[in-house]
Amino acid sequence: MKRSLVLATLAMALAAAPAAAQKTTLNVVTAGDQNMVDYVKDYLAPRFEQTNPNATVKAVGTGPGDAGSQKIAEKLQAQKANAAWDVDVAVIHQKMAGDLVREGLLAPYVRDVATGRLVTSEASKNALGTNVAGYVIPMFQSQTAIAWNPALVKSPPKSYDELAAWAKANPRKFGYNGIKGGMSGVAFVVGWVYANTPDAERLMKGPYDASTKANWDGALGKLKEFNRNVVITPGNAGTLDMLNRGEIAMGPVWVDMFYTWMADGKLPPSMRLQLIGPGMPGQPMYYVIPAKAANMAAAKKFVEMATSPEIQAEGIVKKFNWYPGIDAQHVKAKLDDKTWNRLFVDVTPQELAAKGKTFPIKQYFDDILESYERKVLN
Amino acid sequence: MRDSGRLGPLLVAPALLMVLALFVYPLGYSLITAFEAKSGGFTLGNFVKAFEFYSIDIGFTLVIIGLSTLAIAVASIAIGGYLVLGENPRAVALLRWLYRWPLFIPFVVAAQCMRSFLAKNGLMNNTFVALGILEVDQTTGFLDWRGIVITFVWKQTPFVALLVAGAMASLDRSTIEAARNLGASRLRILVEILVPQVMPTLVVGLILSFVTMMSVLSVPLMISGESPTMMTVDMAFRINNYGDYGTANALGFISYLLTAACAWVYLKRAVRQT
Amino acid sequence: MIWVGRGIALGLLAFIVLGPLANLVLWAAAEQWYFPHKLPVAYGAKFWQQVFKPRGDALVSLMTSIWIALATVAACLALAIPAGYALARLKLPWRTAILLAFLMPQAFPSLAVYINVARIFYDFKLNGTMLGVILVHTVHGLVFAVWITAAAFAAVDRDLELAARNLGGSALRTFLTVSLPLAAPGIMASAIFVFLESLDEFTGTFFVGVPDVITLPLLMFTASIAGNYQIAAITALVLLVPSVLFMLFIERFLKADVLSKIGA
Repeated sequence: MKRSLVLATLAMALAAAPAAAQKTTLNVVTAGDQNMVDYVKDYLAPRFEQTNPNATVKAVGTGPGDAGSQKIAEKLQAQKANAAWDVDVAVIHQKMAGDLVREGLLAPYVRDVATGRLVTSEASKNALGTNVAGYVIPMFQSQTAIAWNPALVKSPPKSYDELAAWAKANPRKFGYNGIKGGMSGVAFVVGWVYANTPDAERLMKGPYDASTKANWDGALGKLKEFNRNVVITPGNAGTLDMLNRGEIAMGPVWVDMFYTWMADGKLPPSMRLQLIGPGMPGQPMYYVIPAKAANMAAAKKFVEMATSPEIQAEGIVKKFNWYPGIDAQHVKAKLDDKTWNRLFVDVTPQELAAKGKTFPIKQYFDDILESYERKVLN
Repeated sequence: MRDSGRLGPLLVAPALLMVLALFVYPLGYSLITAFEAKSGGFTLGNFVKAFEFYSIDIGFTLVIIGLSTLAIAVASIAIGGYLVLGENPRAVALLRWLYRWPLFIPFVVAAQCMRSFLAKNGLMNNTFVALGILEVDQTTGFLDWRGIVITFVWKQTPFVALLVAGAMASLDRSTIEAARNLGASRLRILVEILVPQVMPTLVVGLILSFVTMMSVLSVPLMISGESPTMMTVDMAFRINNYGDYGTANALGFISYLLTAACAWVYLKRAVRQT
Repeated sequence: MIWVGRGIALGLLAFIVLGPLANLVLWAAAEQWYFPHKLPVAYGAKFWQQVFKPRGDALVSLMTSIWIALATVAACLALAIPAGYALARLKLPWRTAILLAFLMPQAFPSLAVYINVARIFYDFKLNGTMLGVILVHTVHGLVFAVWITAAAFAAVDRDLELAARNLGGSALRTFLTVSLPLAAPGIMASAIFVFLESLDEFTGTFFVGVPDVITLPLLMFTASIAGNYQIAAITALVLLVPSVLFMLFIERFLKADVLSKIGA
């Protein structure tokens, strides 16, 4: 009786062993808010596992903002000497992508992936001043705008200057999250600097000049003044939350988060968006594959699936309200007009083209953040 | 008893080694890194940067924790006093049941509760409006440094009150009875008889609370948006966004200095007793 | 008449103490809640389903938290019982210095220490592992464990131990049959403290565990920061169950004399 039990267990173990050996776990690590993790876990993972029955996708989120991307960079740097790394696919912000390419931690996988030729945008080649062509495919393009509540605001301001005047007349009715806890606040601050310095183009394109930051004292002084009249929220979601509860009437938000929250019943359906002049930044997030990913082949298949026109149409645009990462014409062909135009209700394509900016090149980006801490916060 | 004197150290060694390796060593590492420049070598640059960026937050950390400690002291003396001197057994029992609830609620959960309770249109203000105490546009949100103080006091008072009540309960009742017979009011008994006798326990509880509050990250992170906030948030920000161990450890060093005064008082007491 | 004053004072205290908790319960039961509504617009269990769904993180995090807490208690007791006994009963050279060393985790704000522990763990490949988190929790819990067990052993009547020795029992036998059982309530109390501290620990895990080891407090924090109040409230309630259960039984284990000896 005992012997047959032992034999049975052994047999099961032996049978299970080869099957276990075949199943690969694909580790997908993503920076960004919870909606990013949900996208991988609830949307991409089941679809990938359906077409690849030997694979399980494990999704891990490292948190919003630069901190999330920093965590991923640290993970890769810590394993540098190992033969195989425990991150197969990573989704990171532009700033970190530039750093990782320069440090040689990423694989130039784009040429091995069929969807690589579907991406020709500037964002897929240049990450804040660093050449990343061949190493990244944008997952999506996102844009910040000012969300406003028609019940509390008669006519929204059209520019940063108008906004400053409005905030002075309506104290504590505008809120943003500063530069900690989320990129929507960072985007707002960058847009403020663009609006209040003469050489915004140079900040976005370079070349870098360390003395430029001395010119920002005026802009930062005005921002410090501005901060006295506004509420500082805890993060991207914090701003949306306070808008929801009517505690602020306006605030910078990511367009996709705005629409997703509305669909989830966490934002009144009457809320609107306004892209204020001279412009507000947006950014792509990138799919990257670490240079020594343990499951390189599976990783490439995963990214190929995620950047295919069908998935970009259904997942990125329809379900999660992002602007597509691959070239728009491939994605638009897979959607009906109504869904496509939903993206452009409050922010038209013309406005996007005129007032959708990129973030500054890395050195200027760091300078802006540091100057904010030094001059505005302290 | 044949205590060879070798058994004691042997039994203590494993626990001691744990604390030395996983607390004292990183502590020393932290102190040294605070003075280390990025390229190696001694520098005060990290402290300069810390003050350049965060001097307001350093000041506010002291204000927040000082205020909280004061409020905790007053509240726990009041609670302990009523538990010992209260005349109505039902009220005392109710108080005893009520005050302990926040004791076992972790800081993270307390912060989550307070995040929506203290908001401008949160439950607290909504209740006041419903009761007619405030108008809708008169409500203010407390989601800034005041919310941090409220959360700290809410969470830590039961702990100190528990210690103080325990100490008061084990006091000799005869002095209290005598004072009552002489006609002293209960408030006077509390302040002049009970408090001086439980002062050591109260001080221990307050110092423990002080150090605990200096270490909390979740509460300021979840309740207060940005500046002014506590130093812990700035330290986490420096590490998570920039990997800037120099400045973070400089801030840590400053927080040690701030607590050193309190720790010194406590250590004097502890050494005196053993 | 006095009852009016008492009633108002107690009512105010009840509002202060229980109000925030009631808020949590409301959010856990709400499906939709936005301005200007004072109470949830729609109630429902939709988010409970989301939290406990098969692919969900909550169950995994709950198991992770409980495993870590149990391992921490085991480690702490294994280290603290001998140490507590030695501190209470045996000869120790540099007793003061040893006491000081055990005091240190409570005397210094621990955030900076955690940051550096995480950095050191990177070199030992312990960062982001369960073992790393257990180690951090154990050191954090050792402070309470050693103090309370030392106080518990000190509170045992010496005469009973002497009597056992005089009757011919060895030191170990006396310890196992007399000292340990008598100190057991205090040791149980320290075990409970350590369990709860580990279950609720946030800061250390924030630096050492993320992003691979996600305990329930971290999950709750992430949900809250993301504005997902319903999910945050539900995970918070799950986290509270062990705490509240223990609170209702704690009276049995925490006698006043043990309490007053803490920190002595």
